[in-house]
Amino acid sequence: MAASPMVNPGDQPVWVNTDNCKACDICVSVCPSGVLGMRYESTSTLGAMISIDHPEACIGCNECELSCPDFAIFVADRKELKAAGVSFAKLTDDAKTRQAAVIANNYMSLNEQGAK
Amino acid sequence: MAFNYDKYLRLEKMPTLWCWGCGDGVILKAFVRAIEKMNIAQDDICVVSGIGCSGRFSSYVDFNTVHTTHGRTVAYATGIKLARPDKLVVCVAGDGDALAIGGNHTIHGCRRNIDLTLIIINNFIYGLTNSQTSPTTPRGMWTVSQKAGNIDPTFNTCDLAIAAGASFVARESMIEPKKLEKSLVKAMQHKGFSMMEVLSNCHINLGRKNKMMSAMANLEWIDSITVSKKKYDTLSEEEQLNLLPTGVLKEDTEALEYCEMYAEIQKVHQGQRAKITQADFAKKI
Repeated sequence: MAASPMVNPGDQPVWVNTDNCKACDICVSVCPSGVLGMRYESTSTLGAMISIDHPEACIGCNECELSCPDFAIFVADRKELKAAGVSFAKLTDDAKTRQAAVIANNYMSLNEQGAK
Repeated sequence: MAFNYDKYLRLEKMPTLWCWGCGDGVILKAFVRAIEKMNIAQDDICVVSGIGCSGRFSSYVDFNTVHTTHGRTVAYATGIKLARPDKLVVCVAGDGDALAIGGNHTIHGCRRNIDLTLIIINNFIYGLTNSQTSPTTPRGMWTVSQKAGNIDPTFNTCDLAIAAGASFVARESMIEPKKLEKSLVKAMQHKGFSMMEVLSNCHINLGRKNKMMSAMANLEWIDSITVSKKKYDTLSEEEQLNLLPTGVLKEDTEALEYCEMYAEIQKVHQGQRAKITQADFAKKI
């Protein structure tokens, strides 16, 4: 049996199961440090899909996982991540600015051009 | 290890049939996490749900589950609890399910104070059948069945449950999943009837009629009508008018529990004790 998408694929602080994601934007709106954004995806029902743009900025607050209605996004356990040699970042002003920019961009990733 | 939901879900049913951004999924997740926190075996839990979007709840969790008829959630659950008082029985119903067609069962469940947990998912509308007015639709909102605006007064679910005699009453919203999880644990651990009202969003059916077309717009509206109980108590009556307090609103651990009293009735019939009289109760009427 293939590994469950709910189990950490490796040393990722945050990972997604794109089979379950319905592109509702909630996780993007609750992230405090601009880790997430939406990207265009023609095969998705709403034409968008979650993308993790800055995993290195994740502070491990767990808000996205708890607010996701569809079991699509997961955050690593702090201790487990440390054992894999990675640690969560601290919240910086830079990250806060990026988050505000993502929300102003209609929850779209800053790498994507144009409004949804 | 990061939280693993696999154990508690029927993965073959995923992804859920709910719309994108539906609060029911958040509540499902908080419920699963609360169960993990309480450390109960999956076979010792029974989830009973009715009809409506919330009725799907029982399909996704891998416990003993019953998907019952419209509004009769509490009636079925009462039977299950009386037959097996050692099990944790949780009812999940929507606002239309528990307050309109099943309003009678809800208030009598509260009155008996039987050891059930009733989670009422309140999205302010009949969502599954496309936006008809429900007992909790706020006045002045537009729905399919009241196109000129809703004139019906709104049910205050928690006040109703307190008045009917539920011994644990709490209100939470899906905006704060951490608080929701904590309150769910408290509600399920409470001995007696515990009623949890969870405010949820329906941007698809409430939102499209009322200028809240995205999940975020609807969540902002829920955020604007809720305030923590602590803060609510400090407000003047005029300020309280359009707000709903969140948190534990009533907790009574002294009230007599129905299953325990029912066990006494069984003893009477087995000839182990004399018949129950008024002297057995501190409060006679």
